[in-house]
Parts: sequence; structure tokens; C-alpha cells
Amino acid sequence: MKFIKKIDILIIAIILLSSLIFWGINRLNTTASPVVAEIYYKSKLVKTISLNNKKDITFSIPQKPNVIFHLYADGSIRFEKSDCRDKICVRSGKLNIVGESAACLPNEIILKIVRKKGDSPDDLDIILGK
Amino acid sequence: MKKLLSMLIILILVFTFSSCADGKKRYEAESLQVFDTVTKIIAYSKNKSEFTELSEFVFDILNEYHKLYDIYHDYHGINNIKTINDNAGKSPVKVDKKIIDLLLFSKNAYTKTRGKCNVALGSVLKIWHKYRESGIDDPQNAKLPDLGSLRKAASHTDIGKIIIDEKKSTVFLADPKMSLDVGAVAKGFAAECVAQEIALRGYTSVLISIGGNVIAIGAKPGGSFWNVGIENPDNDGKEMPTLQLKDKSVVTSGVYQRYYTVNGKQYHHIIDPEALMPSTYFKSVTVVSDDSGLADALSTAVMCMPYEQGKELIDSISGTDAVWVLPDSNILYSDNFKQYLKK
Repeated sequence: MKFIKKIDILIIAIILLSSLIFWGINRLNTTASPVVAEIYYKSKLVKTISLNNKKDITFSIPQKPNVIFHLYADGSIRFEKSDCRDKICVRSGKLNIVGESAACLPNEIILKIVRKKGDSPDDLDIILGK
Repeated sequence: MKKLLSMLIILILVFTFSSCADGKKRYEAESLQVFDTVTKIIAYSKNKSEFTELSEFVFDILNEYHKLYDIYHDYHGINNIKTINDNAGKSPVKVDKKIIDLLLFSKNAYTKTRGKCNVALGSVLKIWHKYRESGIDDPQNAKLPDLGSLRKAASHTDIGKIIIDEKKSTVFLADPKMSLDVGAVAKGFAAECVAQEIALRGYTSVLISIGGNVIAIGAKPGGSFWNVGIENPDNDGKEMPTLQLKDKSVVTSGVYQRYYTVNGKQYHHIIDPEALMPSTYFKSVTVVSDDSGLADALSTAVMCMPYEQGKELIDSISGTDAVWVLPDSNILYSDNFKQYLKK
């Protein structure tokens, strides 16, 4: 009697192959998903912008033209200027990591960094104070 | 052949169950309506409507706490902290149990933090608030309050003069010149109360943040921990520690966002009750605890004491740990903090 039968080798091969395929699908679903910035005005998503633009731009949303956002070529984004009085939004600085967010309370705007699709187990769920 | 078939069936079952993580999906919602800050809720729910029900429930409760703990505004038909302040030295005010509970907790927190977290510091904080607001509105003429008026105000900060009658559900400030400011405890205490309510309703896998007061109810589906980042006070891209938490609270107090500038120097909002000036020991302190209210009180208190003293305090309370970011941006940890750090 042989120690390992042909059928056992086949089973092991199937398990290994299935694991590899499953791992691949899982990775595609999560970490491969690009990172975007979402801008909410009065709790409604009003703009989604890719952080992968590779160029510097400044922009605002039509609802609040006096709040200026700056998207950097390095893939980060910030509140550049705001007509609010406390400037806490501007002081929040650059954001580029999933889980980071900043807000301008007087203008009712939230800027947050998320994955375009799904979430990755390694992503930060939240950043204290940001 | 039978063996092969049974193996394949097992494999299919394993993949099916592991890929849908008990069928729950991640949802997030934010509100800017409570506690003058960003409130965020992240939860794994079966569907959008289940999440909406949960988030509305949370925001509704927090809105109630927000009105009760407000020191600046009146609300029709509600006696809140402002009502108590308005009646200082005059008469006891009948209040909701949520206020009684907060003030009893605050008295306890005062003892625990050796007086560094004092909700009766309102008379002093009011002066700083006035100068900070004027300084923000008119930066050219920003000024510091004079120490004389701060010291005078500090003689009206005796927490023992908050007279609580639990039976009658009333609060009376026995010193007419004293006032309450619950800013150092209100968000954390409210977060703890709301977390207990939603846990009672059977929700798991929920993360709530009220302006940096984070509370984790359970873990993520499958048991993995929540990844909570600490903000870099310098915002210079340097990597900060990531905490892994479940069923814990974490609160950061920092000096780097809420401040005003006088003659080129920044003066932030965390006032040392002894020095009567903004604390200067750290850029931020983050406290992890089983109780969100306690974490909130401790993060303020520990900001106002030297590291050795703060570490000794943190180490003396079981289940509580802290991380300090020093003025030179070095980071120090309490003895057991490293258990929370992501490997």
C-alpha cells in the first residue's frame, strides 16, 4: 500500500489552487481598490475626486464657492481656504490616508478619504481627531 | 472519488461563509449637528435600512444629550446646564436624570484626576473663551486675559458647591459666581451612555466617534479589531501608532487645532486649573479605557500634569492606558499601552 495515493495529491493540489484563487479575488476586492476623496455638504455626497491625478489643482463646490480645496500631485488633499471664522478645517492639514477626514462645521462640509470600493482589513477605520 | 467529492463540498462551504463575513456590510454616516463637532458612526449591518435605523437612533439620542449638556444655548421646555448656571446662587433647578448622572460622574472624575478635571471651572474657562473668540474674530488685537481676573474667577470653582439632590432631581450651585463647563467630560460621557443603549439593543460591530471620543462596541465581523489611528499633531507625514481595539474607548486631547494666536504665540483651549493658563506639557495625550467618560476626563487631566505624575495616575486605574506626544514630538507610552499597538 502506498503512503500517498494519487487522489490525495489531487486533493492537496485543488486546495492550494483554490486558496490561491480565493486570495487573489480577495485582494482585488480590497487593497487594489483606489483611494478617493469624498466631499459632503449637508450630509449629502456632492463630489468624489480621485487622489491619483498626479497634478496640483484647486477647486470648490458650487454650494460653497468660498471654501477652496487643494488636491496635490502627491495624492493628498486639504481645505486650502475657508471663509469660516475658526479655520479648524484649514488647520486639519493634508489628508491622504483611508480613515482620515476633516470638517468645516460653519460651512457644513466634510472631506474624507475612502476606498472607491469595499474596505481593506489593513485600512484605518478612524483617526482620532481627524 | 467519494473522498474527493466531500473535500470539494467542504471547500465550497468554507469559501462561501468566509467571503460574506456573516452577511454584514460596512456603512458610515456623519453628523455635524451635535456637540459642535463631527460625529461619526461606522457599523457593519445587514443592509442599508438596518444601518439607517441604527444611525438615526444614535444621532437622536446624542442630540438629546447635546441639548441637555449645552452651556451656551437655551432650548424651549428644557432645563440644561446653562439653566443651572443662570440660576447659580438663586435656586435649585429640576433637571433630567442624564444631567444628574453626568454631574455625579464629574464629581467622581474630579477625585480620580486629583482636581485636574473640574467641571466647576466655568468662571475661569468663560474668560478664556471670551478672549479666544475675540482673538479669532480680530487677530490683530488678540489679547491674553490678565492673571488677576483669572485668579479672582478661580476663587469660584469649588466643585463641592454643586449641590445635587438625587431624590428631587435638582442641581443647585451654592456660589452665585460659579458656573459649570462640562466640555471635558460631556462628549465622552454621552458616548458611553449611547454605546450602552445600542449594546442593549443587540448591536455589535459599531464604532462611534464624537469629535475624537471614539468608542468601539464589539469587534468587526469575524472578530478582527478596529484600527484606530492617532493624529499626528505636526501633520508632517510622520507615521503615528495605530491602535487595535474592541470593546474599548479612546480619547485624544490635543493643543493643535483649537487655539488663537497672541503676539505670534499659540494659546489653546485646555486650561490647567492650577496655572489658569493653557497647559504646556504635551502636544497631545491619548487615553484608552473601558469607560469613554473616564477616558475623556483623564485625557484632559493628564494634559495638565507632568508625564511622571500622569503615568502614575494612569497606571493606578486598571484597564486604562495612555500615550503622550511631547513638545519635541517624541512619544511615550504607559506600561501596558503596547498591547493595543498594531504589530
